[in-house]
Amino acid sequence: MAEGVAAAAGVAAVAEPGAGPATRLGTGIGWRPEIAGIVAELPGLRFCEVIAEAIDPAAPPRGVAELRDRGVPVIPHGVRLSLGSADGLDPERVAHLAACADALDAPLVSEHVSFTRVAGRDAGHLLPVPRTREALDVLVANVARVQAELDVPLALEPVAALFDWPGDEFTEAEFLTRLLDRTEAWLLLDVANVHANAVNRGGDPCAVLDGLPLDRIAYVHVAGGSEHPGDTAAGDPGVYHDSHTDPVPPEVFALLGELCDRRLPPAVMLERDGRYPPAAELAAELAAISAAARFAPPAARAAAAGQVVPAAAGVAPGVLR
Amino acid sequence: MSAGLAARQAALVDALVAGAPVPDGFDPVRLATTRRALLRKRAGEAARHWPLLAAALGPGWPTAVAEALDGVPPGGSLRDGRDVARWLRAAGRLPAGAVDELAAREVATRYDGSGAPRARRAPAVRRGRGSVFVQVGGRTLRLRLRNR
Repeated sequence: MAEGVAAAAGVAAVAEPGAGPATRLGTGIGWRPEIAGIVAELPGLRFCEVIAEAIDPAAPPRGVAELRDRGVPVIPHGVRLSLGSADGLDPERVAHLAACADALDAPLVSEHVSFTRVAGRDAGHLLPVPRTREALDVLVANVARVQAELDVPLALEPVAALFDWPGDEFTEAEFLTRLLDRTEAWLLLDVANVHANAVNRGGDPCAVLDGLPLDRIAYVHVAGGSEHPGDTAAGDPGVYHDSHTDPVPPEVFALLGELCDRRLPPAVMLERDGRYPPAAELAAELAAISAAARFAPPAARAAAAGQVVPAAAGVAPGVLR
Repeated sequence: MSAGLAARQAALVDALVAGAPVPDGFDPVRLATTRRALLRKRAGEAARHWPLLAAALGPGWPTAVAEALDGVPPGGSLRDGRDVARWLRAAGRLPAGAVDELAAREVATRYDGSGAPRARRAPAVRRGRGSVFVQVGGRTLRLRLRNR
């Protein structure tokens, strides 16, 4: 299956052979039950992602199984594993993520650099960890525990947050680089999160891109959020929430362009989690993402694939093939 | 694993969802904004499980959820919605359009407000609005009343 996808994608390698994702796969989307019918018909869909906690590995949703059987790579995306929990992981959740990868023939799985639960409490939300050596050690140990149970690579996604912890010892980029170095995990870079963090916590989003190991990117998330008024009486000017409920804003497209200027990512996908648009609008948004990420349009790609299939078939193993 | 960090993480979660004070060193304004954002997110999730209740309140739904659940740790969206419905009923503000939705849930499951709702073992009857809900052996029947 993966070789077929690689041949179809069939574009020049963007990473050193064997060192990283070896092909430019294309554009994907987060599969959600509400848009299952639309996703099944999307032209040029190269991969999709499913929320791991929403899947029963013994009986994946029909739409997801059909995509898998069509050869569309499906990536389980965990949201409740809580890799940053300082009191350790829930073994059942680790086993569930591994079982999802097996059931879906996934090329990799992904989770977040965050915590949602600790000491019997559940925030129901992806919260940031302090950027300290102590938190780094916790993450490294938890990630190693997950990697030991997975048969496929793990990609880690930095989250959007509205606040920082006191006593940070590293910048965001320094912290993530250390984490990826120590775990050999891949990077799932959400450019909408980078944008949201820059808006809400200050800083230059391009400096974040410059500081990250972009050669470790497995794939990229983009999404559209919404602005909310802050508590102006308390001096809060308002915040941008990456709520995945709106069209991708120009600022996020621009940041995707900045990323591509620095390094072309192997794959880019849209996250949409509500206020779903009609099929044509969703397809147009995917096409715009594809163009912004400089993936060849389907016609050009088909022509190119005809020429490079023999070479592409022998491409070194990548995370997303 | 790391007891010091675990305790600080727990204090942060308590401040965000359980009404505890803001831990030292955090920006109280931004934690308050985050707390409101989490309540808004819970409102969106609970609306999926309580569609009639959310629809009956319309644009007032997120406000009602924020008032009812501020300081109440997340219990999953089924239970969150039930907490909001009970809170509204206690205040005499349960919308007519949501009476049947709550009655249908109450006839099927027991909920004491602390643990998760549990399926009733015994038969139960609840009066809705123009209907009576009867649950026997885990199956719920809705009987419409002709004259109300």
